[in-house]
Amino acid sequence: MAALLVPSLLTSCSLDDKSGLGWFFGVILQLSEGMWASLVLFVLTLLFSMPLGLLVCFARRSRFKVVELIAKFYISIMRGTPLMLQLLVVYFGPYFVFKVALSTEYRFYAAIIGFALNYAAYFAEIYRSGIEAVPKGQYEAAHVLGYTKAQTFMKIVFPQMVRHILPPVTNEVITLVKDTSLAFAIAFVEMFTLAKQISATESTIMPLFVAGLFYYIFNLVVSYAMGLLEKKMNYYS
Amino acid sequence: MKKTLALLLAVAMIITAVPFVFSGCGSSDKSGSKADTATTTLTVGFDAEFPPYGYKDEKTGEYKGFDLDLAAEVCKRNNWELKKQPIDWDSKDMELNSGTIDCIWNGFTINGREDDYTWSVPYIDNSQVVVVGKSSDIKSLADLKGKTVAVQSDSSALAALTGDDATKENKKLAASFKELQQIPNYETALLNLESGAVDAVCMDIGVANYKVEASKDKFRLLDDQISSEQYGIGFKKGNTELKDKVEKTLLEMSKDGTVEKIAKEYKLEDALCLGK
Amino acid sequence: MKLLEINNIKKSFDDLEVLKDISISVEEGEVVSILGPSGSGKSTLLRCATLLETMDAGTMKYCGEDAVTEVNGRSVYASKQDLKRIINYFGLVFQNFNLFPHYTVLKNVIDAPIHTQKREKGEVEEEAKALLEQMGIGDKLDYYPCQLSGGQQQRVAIARALAMNPKILFFDEPTSALDPELTGEILKVLRDLASKRMTMVIVTHEIDFARGVSDRVIFMDEGYIVEQGRPEDVIDNPKNDRVRAFLNKLSQ
Repeated sequence: MAALLVPSLLTSCSLDDKSGLGWFFGVILQLSEGMWASLVLFVLTLLFSMPLGLLVCFARRSRFKVVELIAKFYISIMRGTPLMLQLLVVYFGPYFVFKVALSTEYRFYAAIIGFALNYAAYFAEIYRSGIEAVPKGQYEAAHVLGYTKAQTFMKIVFPQMVRHILPPVTNEVITLVKDTSLAFAIAFVEMFTLAKQISATESTIMPLFVAGLFYYIFNLVVSYAMGLLEKKMNYYS
Repeated sequence: MKKTLALLLAVAMIITAVPFVFSGCGSSDKSGSKADTATTTLTVGFDAEFPPYGYKDEKTGEYKGFDLDLAAEVCKRNNWELKKQPIDWDSKDMELNSGTIDCIWNGFTINGREDDYTWSVPYIDNSQVVVVGKSSDIKSLADLKGKTVAVQSDSSALAALTGDDATKENKKLAASFKELQQIPNYETALLNLESGAVDAVCMDIGVANYKVEASKDKFRLLDDQISSEQYGIGFKKGNTELKDKVEKTLLEMSKDGTVEKIAKEYKLEDALCLGK
Repeated sequence: MKLLEINNIKKSFDDLEVLKDISISVEEGEVVSILGPSGSGKSTLLRCATLLETMDAGTMKYCGEDAVTEVNGRSVYASKQDLKRIINYFGLVFQNFNLFPHYTVLKNVIDAPIHTQKREKGEVEEEAKALLEQMGIGDKLDYYPCQLSGGQQQRVAIARALAMNPKILFFDEPTSALDPELTGEILKVLRDLASKRMTMVIVTHEIDFARGVSDRVIFMDEGYIVEQGRPEDVIDNPKNDRVRAFLNKLSQ
């Protein structure tokens, strides 16, 4: 693969009109619109999937067998089928199942809903591992001290859970940054799609590398922020 | 903490409910567009990685191309608003059937899909040709024997070589290759050709001309063609009303020379077959 | 006055009968140690008494109030509200301390009184500081549990339990997670509490510890109480063979 890419990379750089700094910034400028779309998708997905994941996690841990089974089924479907398929179902499903006419605006909502539903399943399992990592003794101490169930969760379990789950959550968030490129399955134009389009027009793969650089920088920022958070949560160890 | 959580969930629910409200409004517009003269927008679905028919302009960042320019002119003459919707080519049927786009107008091959859509008259004759390196010793289709040949996956060229409707000669030709590689897009296929990973690439003549030109003498075309096929505008099956309107305007544009003028901008004038 | 009265308690885990008809009562100001080999049921008894396990049969009263009654030979627990009040009558100090790792020493001690007993913050804080001072860790208020030694952590745990103003304090093997040389630290704290007439029930398998602090020793084996009485009688002159065997084994 690399052997294939490198010579073509060199030739595309050697074309004078496609190697200058001006051209490079031109590509960045064009990509920035897609970058914004990717960023919005990223932020909104996190905003909705994280609390939703907590709900799914509660359902998964429910005393009621039926609720637990539903949550298990949900998680297995969301983790066991391709995200791209889920996006297609969320977007086209309303029409093909209920004959609801779709508006173009719905592309955006469908992308957010699809991503949030999918990531909620992953977050639910991460939360669950975090909750289960809190020793039983913590619950017993809270019980003897008279904390209610809700107090025990909010004051004792949740803060400890957050610390346990930060590393896997970081992983998931980084994956999400890159997964945003899947949104084009339902014609949600994000950065990578733009990069492919520019690449097709200009007959060079440079825009794809620029996009790659964008993702990399984005993820550097994410890793750095999560690292800071992890450090902050490490006040006790 | 609990309050924040509740608030977030509430916001999530409201936002998820909004599109259904929107789509409710949208549906009345849409049914109107299909019904009669009340059409206000024409949503054209296209693959934005398909120059010169539809692509992103490097200078303006706008979507343009031969097909999009034609569509723009058709809309102008009908006093419609044109909405250019780049789509994932693999989802084109879902997009069309669910009504999120009104037509597929994007170097869309009729042959082999005659019964799947309501078609306009063909406007481009698009043959499948073979692109090889400038200094390659391949001169004819026969020289492809034992060579590695690339096509875009799910493309007309692939269908022409190995599809159910492929001719006997083409099937034989494909069988004589050392290997027929499927590559996701033209761009990668040509990169493969340039780097020597494949010996030839089969593709649509329009794209091939554009690419050969843009390559600055890296590639050339074989004189032999694999197949001849035609492009049309695909509408949802049964939507003859919209098809008739677009087609009528297109024919008018052909008569007064507008189509040819636009075709020249994209070096497609040789492939035009409208009104012939 | 009897602070705790447990009658004919039975408890099984699946097919294993862990407690077979045990009755104990604890008087105000009394310090009781429960001794016995592992698997004798002493920890289960403590967990039933502190409502961490549910008993199958038998009754339990705290300060004369019914926590568990018996209907048709099965234990029936009091209402949630009643239990919520009853839970305030006792405190429990765990073998592994179970301090909240994300809270400072002071917050560990004051959080429950403020949020579960709805007491005034300033007053609780004053009291907590005094308690921690008394435990010899008055200078560690802003430390996190992980920054303390085992003995210090256990003293925070004791202060946390005391801050709830319990009438009776349970200890579940309070020294077994500590290095032997730290046992004395905790013993000193318990003696101190005993001298202030704190009612305590201590599950332990450290004979010297039990002898050093208790008014009465209960010896359990295989789910029964096999002997009880003053420490000098039970520990130094046991009548029961099993007690003697256990003590011999330990002294070897």
